[in-house]
Amino acid sequence: MQFMLIMRDEDAAAVERRDAPFEAMLERMGRYNRAMADAGVLVSAQGLASPGTGIVVDFSADPPLVTDGPYGETKELCNGFWVIDVPSRDAAVEWASRAPLGPGTKLELRRVHGEEDLRR
Amino acid sequence: MQYMLIMRADDDAVATYREIPFEQVIEAMGKYNESMMEAGVLIAGEGLSDASEGFVVDFSADPPLVTDGPYGETKELFNGFWILEVSSKEEAAEWASRCPLGPGAKLEVRRVTGPEDFPADNEWVQKEEGWREEQAARKAADAPGGVAG
Repeated sequence: MQFMLIMRDEDAAAVERRDAPFEAMLERMGRYNRAMADAGVLVSAQGLASPGTGIVVDFSADPPLVTDGPYGETKELCNGFWVIDVPSRDAAVEWASRAPLGPGTKLELRRVHGEEDLRR
Repeated sequence: MQYMLIMRADDDAVATYREIPFEQVIEAMGKYNESMMEAGVLIAGEGLSDASEGFVVDFSADPPLVTDGPYGETKELFNGFWILEVSSKEEAAEWASRCPLGPGAKLEVRRVTGPEDFPADNEWVQKEEGWREEQAARKAADAPGGVAG
């Protein structure tokens, strides 16, 4: 089964990450990604550009209304994710817990739909 | 450049969506996905299972604390996403606007970072390029009509 690991920050954690030495962060994340790739569980991973550079398309209007700027507050946003393919929920917990993240950061884990979910 | 389209909804939109016949939802989304595939812009797209089935790992504790249940309120969550390869932010907005969604639903559109966002001479950035190439090769080999022997 596949799980999506969604990075969630509080304001303080986002600031701390921005101020932390970039090289050290690249190394910690690099090691984590490499470990998952070596174990054959990593399906995909992407980082997202700053929320301020994003846009929001609101379908409450017709045609939909397009506005510049972030969707919401820091804790509502995500700046990156991993999709992993693991045999169990426990294995997903285990990999998620090894992520090089600190106080004020959470990973939300969600099972990714497979073909079996469409045959209902 | 790549953009991620993140599905966002409020409680009312979720309730309305549940009442639409499932076949109709599959058809509308299927047509949307097909149009993006035909245009060659669709890189990836996934739906996520219900948020109540999910769990949260909090790194404020050491070791991290694992709890069952949704991360937050409906508007903080998302149930699916697409990643598109397009030539501009405007093109991303154009594709997003064509999505078959209704009142109370929003798409958050974010640029996906690429190699240009990172120092090319960094050891770990180079290693990452390595595993991304491995992934791409594996994917090509797994695809129907691929080069898997």
